[in-house]
Amino acid sequence: MTDITKEAMMPPRSFLSQDAIQVFYRLLAALLICAVLAVLSDSFLSLGNILNVLRQASLTFFIASGLTLVVLTAGLDLSVGANVALSACIAGTVIHKTGSPALGILTGLACGGIVGLLNGVMVTALRIPSFIATYGMLWVLNGLTYWYMAGETLHGFPAGFRQIGSGYLFGLPIPVYLLLVFLGIGTLFAQRTIWGQEIYAIGANPVAARLSGIPVPRRLLLVYAVSGTMAGLASIIFLSRLNSAEADIGESLTLPAIAAVLIGGTSLFGGVGTVFGTFIGALILTLVLNGMNLLSVSANWQPLVTGIIVILAVWLDMKTRRRAQ
Amino acid sequence: MRQQKLAYLALPLLMAAAFTSEARADGETIAVFTKNQTNPFFQTVRVGADNMAKTLNAKTLQYIPTKPDSIPEQLSQIEDVVVKKPSAIVFTPVDYKAMVPGVEKINEAKIPVVNITDRSAGGKFLSFVGADDYSLGLETARFLLKTLGGKGNIVIIEGVKGSLTNVDRVRGFNDALKETPGAKLLASQPGNYQRLQALQVMENLMQSNSQIDGVLAANDAMAVGAIEALDGANRKAQVIGINGTKEAIDAIKSGKLLASGDYNGFAQGCLGTMMAIRSLRNQPVIAEIVLKPTVITKDNFGPFDVPLEQRTCPTFEEAGKLSAK
Repeated sequence: MTDITKEAMMPPRSFLSQDAIQVFYRLLAALLICAVLAVLSDSFLSLGNILNVLRQASLTFFIASGLTLVVLTAGLDLSVGANVALSACIAGTVIHKTGSPALGILTGLACGGIVGLLNGVMVTALRIPSFIATYGMLWVLNGLTYWYMAGETLHGFPAGFRQIGSGYLFGLPIPVYLLLVFLGIGTLFAQRTIWGQEIYAIGANPVAARLSGIPVPRRLLLVYAVSGTMAGLASIIFLSRLNSAEADIGESLTLPAIAAVLIGGTSLFGGVGTVFGTFIGALILTLVLNGMNLLSVSANWQPLVTGIIVILAVWLDMKTRRRAQ
Repeated sequence: MRQQKLAYLALPLLMAAAFTSEARADGETIAVFTKNQTNPFFQTVRVGADNMAKTLNAKTLQYIPTKPDSIPEQLSQIEDVVVKKPSAIVFTPVDYKAMVPGVEKINEAKIPVVNITDRSAGGKFLSFVGADDYSLGLETARFLLKTLGGKGNIVIIEGVKGSLTNVDRVRGFNDALKETPGAKLLASQPGNYQRLQALQVMENLMQSNSQIDGVLAANDAMAVGAIEALDGANRKAQVIGINGTKEAIDAIKSGKLLASGDYNGFAQGCLGTMMAIRSLRNQPVIAEIVLKPTVITKDNFGPFDVPLEQRTCPTFEEAGKLSAK
């Protein structure tokens, strides 16, 4: 084993690899959906609507971007939605009590990050499978949030703070800037840094990764902490966009985030996928709902269509991958 | 609120105390079943039940599924309660059909039971106390249409498709629209009782409809979400919600929300518990109380702006008058 160097284990990933082809397919699918919607609805291609779609996709993307790293290591974080709910309720309380949005934002991010770190500890130190550890965490967080809120709703936050989620800068919604920033950071981190490459390697083959000298537990801790912190960020956007927090927001956020990662082409078996793909995944999910609203599609069809798209995306993905191999 | 949280913590202790020392003649124990800890409505039911029990010198035990509206969990809570044998039960089924076998178990154990809020599809009850979702939808929509002068473009934001409350509320909305030939229904889209989803649906609908005059939302959280979307786009429309939550009252006070239909959770909790205790004490009970819908507006919000803890339960004589039938 001595002659196996780190480099030999991990050929540098060029972006023009299989991942790039997968991302290309997804972009094509998104464009196709856009073309169909543009034909069916006059209002679809308006600037207002495009900004709408981007802003709506951003919340799902923030949650899903951190989750992508977890899935790249062949793990799963089922607690992200519940984490958003708890972080939002705690950050909201801090803003109400102290009147300081800055303190609230820090608390929200910290709360999300700590929860993520705890997930990481369960997965690495206690060796609990991530699916079970984070599912348990989901219940713990729900319990804490329900108890803490006791059926109440927090609402009414300072106008300045509301700008983060609802404001505009040079005609673009502020969450869209954040979306671009985190899309950039996420892509650079995953594709261009050693840590990012190590995360891919862990997902592709954890044993080989460990033998080639990658500190697997430390990277896993990092990945779960990032996922939690991104949930914390999402909680801040949520608070500021909706002007309120309540205990039951989590459930409606987790599954779309997981769906965005999968539609985006990240494999549940780890080692394959991109943050950019996840962005396209969030975009596709949002486009479909946006389109159905614009076309006044009956309420009954909306979950059905969404479900079919998730299944179709994963199936197409597996098919194209097999051909590529 | 702080005291309430302590009370939750003390619940197991209370439960132990309640079942070890045999209750005094007037110290009946009433088990109160509600659907979740997340909807503020059920918090008002629980406070109402506690208030009445205290007045009549009885005790309550709260049973709430930890996972909101969980059918298996409520079923196992029923199994527990049948073993523990409280004096009587005040019962809201998490699902009006699925919980029928549970109600039958209570009947077999010969524990007297009062049905509140959602009418069970089967089983034997001493009494039913509830509000009428259909007339709540009808009356709130009528109020909005009257405010708009009997004309305008209307959108409906629906709750969870297929849930009993949503079906009846939306039927009420639609019947009010049918009475008003000048009003035009543009779209009826799902928000699943979630604030974020309602906000996004509203944003999308505003893209394809340049003029929206009225929004009928099937609950307050969605109404407030729709208002956030309207504010964000600098547009104005009259919005109504249903439930009469504290947040809705605040929004009515500040002129953002036109009205909310009061579901009267507090009175439901009070009267359900009252009927249970009265039957235990061999006093006459009213077999069916369907509370009249109240449309809370800027002209009559006063009595609803009182903290829950300071409200007083109606008397038995008043109970009869509160009923629509």
